[in-house]
Amino acid sequence: MTSILVADHLTKWYGPRLAVYDVSFEVEKGEVMGLLGPNGSGKSTILRILTGYLRPSSGTARVDGFDVVTDGLEARNLVGYVPEDVPLYTHMRVTEFLAFMGSLRGLEGARLRAAIASACERVSLQAVQDLLIAKLSRGYRQRVAIAQALIGNPQLLILDEPTNGLDPRQIIELRGLIRALASSCAVVVTSHVLAEIERIANRAAILLNGRLLAVHSITRAGAACSLRIRVHAGDHHAVAACITSIPGVSQLALDSWADSISAWRVEVTREEIAENISTNLTRAGFGVREIATAASDLETTFLRLTGQGVAQ
Amino acid sequence: MKLFGTLLHKEVLALFSSPIAYAVIAVYLLLVGYSFTASLFMTRMATLVHIFFQASVLLVLMIPILTMRQFSEERKSGTLELLLTAPVRESAIVLAKFGASLAVVLVMIALTFSYAIVLALYSQPDWGPIYSGYVGLIAMGAALTALGVMISALTANQIVAAAVSLGLFSLLWMLDSAAALLPDPFESFLINLSLLAHFTPFATGAMYTSDFGFFLSVTLLGLFLATRALARR
Repeated sequence: MTSILVADHLTKWYGPRLAVYDVSFEVEKGEVMGLLGPNGSGKSTILRILTGYLRPSSGTARVDGFDVVTDGLEARNLVGYVPEDVPLYTHMRVTEFLAFMGSLRGLEGARLRAAIASACERVSLQAVQDLLIAKLSRGYRQRVAIAQALIGNPQLLILDEPTNGLDPRQIIELRGLIRALASSCAVVVTSHVLAEIERIANRAAILLNGRLLAVHSITRAGAACSLRIRVHAGDHHAVAACITSIPGVSQLALDSWADSISAWRVEVTREEIAENISTNLTRAGFGVREIATAASDLETTFLRLTGQGVAQ
Repeated sequence: MKLFGTLLHKEVLALFSSPIAYAVIAVYLLLVGYSFTASLFMTRMATLVHIFFQASVLLVLMIPILTMRQFSEERKSGTLELLLTAPVRESAIVLAKFGASLAVVLVMIALTFSYAIVLALYSQPDWGPIYSGYVGLIAMGAALTALGVMISALTANQIVAAAVSLGLFSLLWMLDSAAALLPDPFESFLINLSLLAHFTPFATGAMYTSDFGFFLSVTLLGLFLATRALARR
């Protein structure tokens, strides 16, 4: 696989304030890269550098081999971008705005009309395409912003907090859209909502105070997850034997043992195994005090890296 | 070129879809019309010389209102991010905004030609100074528009853009009055920067290459600095 996006040692100073420091990562075609970090961690600054809106203080970013600074026009031609606050020309009608953005990408005539129709269809904008953008709800405005980014079939799609302002149904649809789009291009998406990144992205770059702490691969082996279990029993060895005998339990670790209460961390291949564990432990005469889905892999990594520890 | 056409079309629509352009044009015509009527009845002369001076002072006052929003509004609403991340050169964006603002200024100036027609209907005005006066108004309008667009590119606040533009234009207009207080090399330097000093020959019927050169240089400098201001980010 070739990398569509290569960010190499990006650093950005805003005057005396360091916003991004020495950030490097690559995104391949067909991949969704999530940038995850608390507010002010430098996510939007990185995206603005990748889209050519900001110049890096040092380091380079290349889109399909084109440097975003020295070959700005060529690089920007390959990028579709949805900024965080969904800026739009509210005095324009939806199709008028999409035609304007398409024309800036060099589309005209039948190709432009086809691109507008395709973008409207992909984000279900047909019902409002003749309305003034000023009259649209926040959710529709978000869709218009996404539609303009899709015009011209970009190689790299960059979305800054794309689920902001969308209702749950729209969020689910957007997730599906992003995953569908990723088959033909590379996607970089930011969010401060961990669960969003976990659902959308293949990999997550974890950022804090402008520094890239780690790039985490998100595995989706079925619905594998971790369980936290607390059991009341005289002998914790018997509890361990009971749990490990259940099919689907891949790993078992004793977290603590005190006053006949044993706390376990159990890795299972499917979340439903929790029900089997509960049934088997009860049948064996142990008192099940708690069974809960533990913090996910990404969540654990994020909290560990950002120095807050795993919230219990 | 086609790209520039797209940008220019968008800018012209934006200006004429808001009431600002109409309000500026209406107020400008009302004030110039008032001056024309008063001057005509007082002097009873078929000349527009006084009107050109009034019209040029009003350009100093009105152009900041037209140009203040050009980049400031886009910067504030965030749409500048859409423009600058599209595959478009900064210079094309600046030229489109300049072209659209200048179009309003040209409409404004062109509509005052009705006063020349009134003069022609009732007497025989000397057309030479009238033509040169209009050339001067257009040249000065272009220079002020370019400077206004440049100042708008520096701030996200429209009021700041308007106030700074108004201050700069007024200073450039009045510069020659301060020049008399200074010794020679500074005096001629300041006079050479004065809008009034370069506009007066046009209004009185004389067109010099140096005055053209001045307004053209200010226009190009304004556009260049606006492009630099956009590129610095």
